Amino acid sequence: MTVRPDDRLLDGAPMQPLCCRQCGAEVEVRKASWHQTSVQWNAEAVSACLERRASSLGDGSGVFPGCTALRDSIARAALEGVIAVPES
Amino acid sequence: MMVRRAVARASRPSRPMGLDGPAGSRTSYLGELRTRVLKGWVDVTAVEAGNSGVRRIEAEAVPTRYARGWHCLGLSAGFKDGRPHTVSAFGQKLVVFQSGSGAINVLDAYCRHMGADLSKGTIKGEEIACPFHDWRWGGDGRCKKIPYARRVPLRARTAAWTTMEQDGLLFVWNDPEGNPPPPEVTIPRIEGATRDDWTEWVWKEIVVETNCREVVDNIVDMAHFFYVHFSFPTYFKNIFEGHVATQIMKGNGRPDARRPAKAGEPQMLGNTSVASYHGPSFMIDDLTYHYDDMDLKSVLVNAHYPIDGNSFMLHSGIIVQQSDKLSKDAAEAMAQKLGDFILRGFDQDVQIWKHKTRIDNPLLCEEDGPVYQLRRWYEQFYVDVADVKPEMVERFEFELDTTRPVEVWKQEVEDNLARRAAEGRPA
Repeated sequence: MTVRPDDRLLDGAPMQPLCCRQCGAEVEVRKASWHQTSVQWNAEAVSACLERRASSLGDGSGVFPGCTALRDSIARAALEGVIAVPES
Repeated sequence: MMVRRAVARASRPSRPMGLDGPAGSRTSYLGELRTRVLKGWVDVTAVEAGNSGVRRIEAEAVPTRYARGWHCLGLSAGFKDGRPHTVSAFGQKLVVFQSGSGAINVLDAYCRHMGADLSKGTIKGEEIACPFHDWRWGGDGRCKKIPYARRVPLRARTAAWTTMEQDGLLFVWNDPEGNPPPPEVTIPRIEGATRDDWTEWVWKEIVVETNCREVVDNIVDMAHFFYVHFSFPTYFKNIFEGHVATQIMKGNGRPDARRPAKAGEPQMLGNTSVASYHGPSFMIDDLTYHYDDMDLKSVLVNAHYPIDGNSFMLHSGIIVQQSDKLSKDAAEAMAQKLGDFILRGFDQDVQIWKHKTRIDNPLLCEEDGPVYQLRRWYEQFYVDVADVKPEMVERFEFELDTTRPVEVWKQEVEDNLARRAAEGRPA
């Protein structure tokens, strides 16, 4: 099976780099609307994330639901226009 | 009849169209269509539509290898009846047998001597004895004894699978490269499965005649939960990381799909579900139903193993926790009820799968989940460990915007209720 790209990233908003205001971890973010968010992490960002480190989960047995500091950083970036949010 | 068969072929070509070069394939595709039209197989409107900007469905053949990972074969108790069991999995026939010391073993079912089926044989002590000439095979895959021979010949070894028994379930490790399971790739313990205040497993199995990718796709498919399963998602998020793929979903009840609670009965308000695939085939769902007077906690297992490229065995298991509001008997009754409910859910999926085509290039709207990223994650199980790319295992999060779906679905539910009321039928 060939891994194929998601056309929505080409036709709609792209993934954009963003640094977390808390730990500086750099991820890629996309917002298709105010309430939709995609976040692509890499290994470096995962090891930089403080909340992730503090969580006892994320070792495969549980699920790390997401970082609240990163969530806030994304919301702020969207409000400031750093992360583009398509008009609905 | 002829026409129907031919049209079905046109929409589901044996050779995927559009994969062998853009220009050439298009010509041959149209040529093929023209032939079909001339033979009266395809109606003409389909051909006209084929001329301009039509999105073509693409699908590679199903993979020729089977996913690397732990696969659940079902309740382990079922294999402990002193008899060998036949299991068709990974394109092979396997024998599952419990040796005298208690270990459950999985071997290739065909005896290396003359090819007889070991699963039709007999368990003798630690070994499975072939029904043809009584050759004795151990759980490690080695021939231990041939009663009528002085010596076991060289190379008397068959394929053996690593097994694991946990929480009342039997797992086999499949790896086309033949490596043992790495320590970090585990199936987490299901606490309730061994606790007294939870019910026993209510376990169901069905054979599904399609490639198993279809069932895995469900984990990102929010909208089908409304249209196919009559539930009402209001929150939906996916997280993929390492060998784990998660779906977090919250939902409301569907008053147009379920009988409303009678006076005095607890009313179901909604549910919260956190479901993770641990590897390619075993999903554990922490599923809580919220009632007006209590939370009902359950764990749902949704697991499968491939029989071959075009069929798989689908398992569901459920356990329910007792509480001060839910007695032991009530919890057991609830587990039975939920088990039947889940089986109906499988059947709803099967009705779709039976008639759909395999599609590698689904056309998505922004309110669909991350199908492509899920398949990127899923691909890690179909390549050698050395070929697993970082992008297949790196953490990816996708939170869906449910604003529009919820708005539309609320309206649809109200319309359904209003129509029924107008027809004088009960809600």
